[in-house]
Amino acid sequence: MVTVKINGKEITVEDNTLILDAARDAGYEIPTFCYQADLMGIGSCRMCLVEIEGQKKLQPSCVTPVLHGMSINTDSGTVQTARAGVLEFLLANHAMDCPVCDKGGECELQDMVHKHGPHKGRHAEPKFKFHDKDYVLSPVIIKNSNRCVQCMKCVRVCREVVGQNVLGALGRGDHQEPTSFFRAFMNCEMDGNCIEVCPVGCFMRLPYRYKSRPWDLKSSDTICPYCATGCRMVIEERAGTLMRAKAQLGVGLNSETLCARGRFGQDFVNNPERINQPLVRRYGKLEPVTWEEAISHIKENLTALDGDKIGGIASPRLTNEELYLFQKLMREVLGSPNIDSSSRFSPDAVEGFVAATGMGEGGVSVYDCMEADTVLIIGTHLSDENPVIDYIVRRISASRRMNVIIASPRAMKLDSSANIVLRHNVASENAVLTSLVIGLNEGKLADTLKGMHEAQLDANLKASGVSADLISTVVNRLAASSSIAIIAGTDFLRYPEGISGLGLLKDLLKSRGKKVTVMPVLDRANQRGAWEMGVHPGFGPGYSETRKGLGTEGMLDAAMKGELEALYVVGSDVASMYPGDDFARTALSKVGFLIVQDMFMTETARQAHVVLPGAAHAEKDGTYTNQEGRAQVIKKLLTAPGRAKQDINIIRAIGESFDRSFGPKHFALVLDEIRKEVPSYADVSLSFNNKRNTDNKLDNRGALVKAAAAPAVKVKSFNPASVETSGARFILTTGNHLFHSGRSSMKSETLLGLLKGAVVEISEEDAASLGLKSGEKVRVKGANFEAQMTLLTKKGTKSGVAFIAENFDDAPVNRYFRRGGGIPRVDIIKTI
Amino acid sequence: MLSEQAKQEILASLKKYHDKRSAVMDAVRIAQKENGGHVVKRDMEEIAEILEMQPVEVNAAAAFYTMYRIDKPVGRHHIQVCRNISCSLMGAEHIIKHLERSLGIKTGETTTDHRITLSTVECLGSCGTAPMMQVNDEYYENLTEAKIDELLKKMA
Repeated sequence: MVTVKINGKEITVEDNTLILDAARDAGYEIPTFCYQADLMGIGSCRMCLVEIEGQKKLQPSCVTPVLHGMSINTDSGTVQTARAGVLEFLLANHAMDCPVCDKGGECELQDMVHKHGPHKGRHAEPKFKFHDKDYVLSPVIIKNSNRCVQCMKCVRVCREVVGQNVLGALGRGDHQEPTSFFRAFMNCEMDGNCIEVCPVGCFMRLPYRYKSRPWDLKSSDTICPYCATGCRMVIEERAGTLMRAKAQLGVGLNSETLCARGRFGQDFVNNPERINQPLVRRYGKLEPVTWEEAISHIKENLTALDGDKIGGIASPRLTNEELYLFQKLMREVLGSPNIDSSSRFSPDAVEGFVAATGMGEGGVSVYDCMEADTVLIIGTHLSDENPVIDYIVRRISASRRMNVIIASPRAMKLDSSANIVLRHNVASENAVLTSLVIGLNEGKLADTLKGMHEAQLDANLKASGVSADLISTVVNRLAASSSIAIIAGTDFLRYPEGISGLGLLKDLLKSRGKKVTVMPVLDRANQRGAWEMGVHPGFGPGYSETRKGLGTEGMLDAAMKGELEALYVVGSDVASMYPGDDFARTALSKVGFLIVQDMFMTETARQAHVVLPGAAHAEKDGTYTNQEGRAQVIKKLLTAPGRAKQDINIIRAIGESFDRSFGPKHFALVLDEIRKEVPSYADVSLSFNNKRNTDNKLDNRGALVKAAAAPAVKVKSFNPASVETSGARFILTTGNHLFHSGRSSMKSETLLGLLKGAVVEISEEDAASLGLKSGEKVRVKGANFEAQMTLLTKKGTKSGVAFIAENFDDAPVNRYFRRGGGIPRVDIIKTI
Repeated sequence: MLSEQAKQEILASLKKYHDKRSAVMDAVRIAQKENGGHVVKRDMEEIAEILEMQPVEVNAAAAFYTMYRIDKPVGRHHIQVCRNISCSLMGAEHIIKHLERSLGIKTGETTTDHRITLSTVECLGSCGTAPMMQVNDEYYENLTEAKIDELLKKMA
């Protein structure tokens, strides 16, 4: 610890604290352009100059650490003159087109000049111009370099956080322009983090361009509804239209970063295709009715039904309050145990995954994981599925000594931050994890057992396709680490065999006295919340014991046999997500009474007897629980279109039609009830994310849910996934595309602008051996479905693996799969 | 397009560095030399591939230094006049004006017969003999108008 004087005030801070941070601790704000805590300091903008007693020259406080006994002045006359001088120079070439600049009104340069600036400029020379017209860098980014203040945050965020590295600082001095290679169109992740960090109007959002002035926007501080990372964002509207979403520096676990989906994908809310009135099927046609008619029609058709013959499926994008009320309606009012939140994963796999990742043991912060000696990332394509976690891993792993081990069949951007990459076969997570378990046990075996273990190890190595050397390197790293974090993704739910391996490895490492943290990574915003609220056929709220019911698969089976009399689907598109071509559709057509509540006319909704218009995240209040177990608040900004209602009100209206006292009547009261009924949520508060996190940075520990009382979940063992034996060349895997999440992102105009048609991704080598090039049109032919799509190649992906995201309407990947069948094989043929 | 020889030269230069990326300066120099005094987009893309970096990083490294010329062809003789402090104090401005007048071009331009390109550069580390300039790979120091006239006559 060192003691320094700042403006005469004594303050004691940690060694190596930057003067800037020490001053902020002491309560003195120092203006900056180029400084950002999570980026490498470059001290280039000179706005933060301070005077240190005994030193003749002013020093940049953002790169100068405090020394014991320093006396610093942050606001002396010299400092003020220097600041004004820096700003005068910045304005010398600045375009000064504030009246038409998108940034006008929220521009750091404007604010800075307003506060510190020179009252007049002395530069009479003509301004230097990089270019005349603004130029487009990507479908979402437009650029005007003439406004640049050369802080290079865009270049640094692109390299250090996003890991794309497609922006460079070209030239030097005042002629330095941060831009792409030859100012060409960029082929990048389109996440727009360069726009977010830009203090001026140099990088701008193309979709928002000239649409509004910042002071005309109304905003709400909420959570992104796409993946389960739970990024905090501010969404803004003007005259009822959602205009943009942005992140806030130092707020939420994501701080100032978002991915393309989060930043540009919120406009699905504005989609004119939104359903805006309740519909009831009459004489085969869906016709508009009033809410009263719709609800009483539902009551008529549900009354006197046997609860066991009713089913309910709710989307993992609803809020905790809605999901809680939904299961309450199903279990207590309709008497049905048949509840599920997913049409993709089997309830058994979910239970095993919940148990193996220890979700019942309470929340685990991603920042805790990143403090471990070794992080093992397995069962997820993190860079595409949860981009912001990818950013966090990249940023933190670059700043401290740690091992990052990635196991995945497909290459990903994060591989460049990994010490070891295990390219294993599709669905062989179990073999990888078992190999590690065997390896870790090796030294401890009696000689008689060694032969057996070697045979086992060989079998597992063969199944995973990973070399013995790599496995033993990983084993050594694990053995040498005292804390280990495992980040486990949704592939464990697709190929549940790996769950037992995950459980084994976790227990073994724990038994060796290591600190083990497991963090699940999920792809739907409130998937964890849905499970914790008991929207699962195997457990109730808080993973409590409950009467077992049917999951989606069981319900569809029952429907096929004509035994499901009613099905209530909220926000889930079963027909387009369930494996197999027609099975789900046929099964749904046999349901006696199908209620679908959704924002859009989905495949499932088209088959419904009653369609109820629900609301988007921007139109409701409530809480989401992200994958880490962080309960965060979403806030209403807009009113749902037409007569559409918040889902919580619709669920309650149906409940009330049976029982006047059904409720609670307000989302906050529902949360109160959750707090009482679900002990792990006892401390969840609506004020969690209303404050800026100062004391422990981005990691708001208060928001992590506590351990459940007695989680009724077990790690199970599952049969290995079988692969179709058709002899086709590629094994097909699926997941989410970087630009899409489920099907709701398909309603976002901006995201469709980034990627509309289906793409299939294979390794570069495979493409070369087939004589195919990236970008070509190909036919992907499986045993029961084929479709045309664009080929993309990826360097480093395992040979023989093809990936098609689950998001595309024009190539529904579920049709390649067969219900109950193995992992499909496909051939890729050039279209002539 | 880099020639096979240039590629080999770049690969050989990799041995000098711990990190492949550090060879970027060498690589751009080799490409520029082969290309007769300037580097083009395609070369930078190829260098990026060899050094496993992004093309824009090669571009950024090259764009920082005045010794590299990006996408601007030069004449047979590339005159680079230093205009940093020492040379300026010793009359670099005057030298530049004289060159412009004699050649009939402005700084940054090439004579119509593609014989000479005139540009100004940052410090070439020869302050003791200011004012000075570099023509292709040769230094010409303690410049005077007479010296320059003499030199220009010799440039074919």
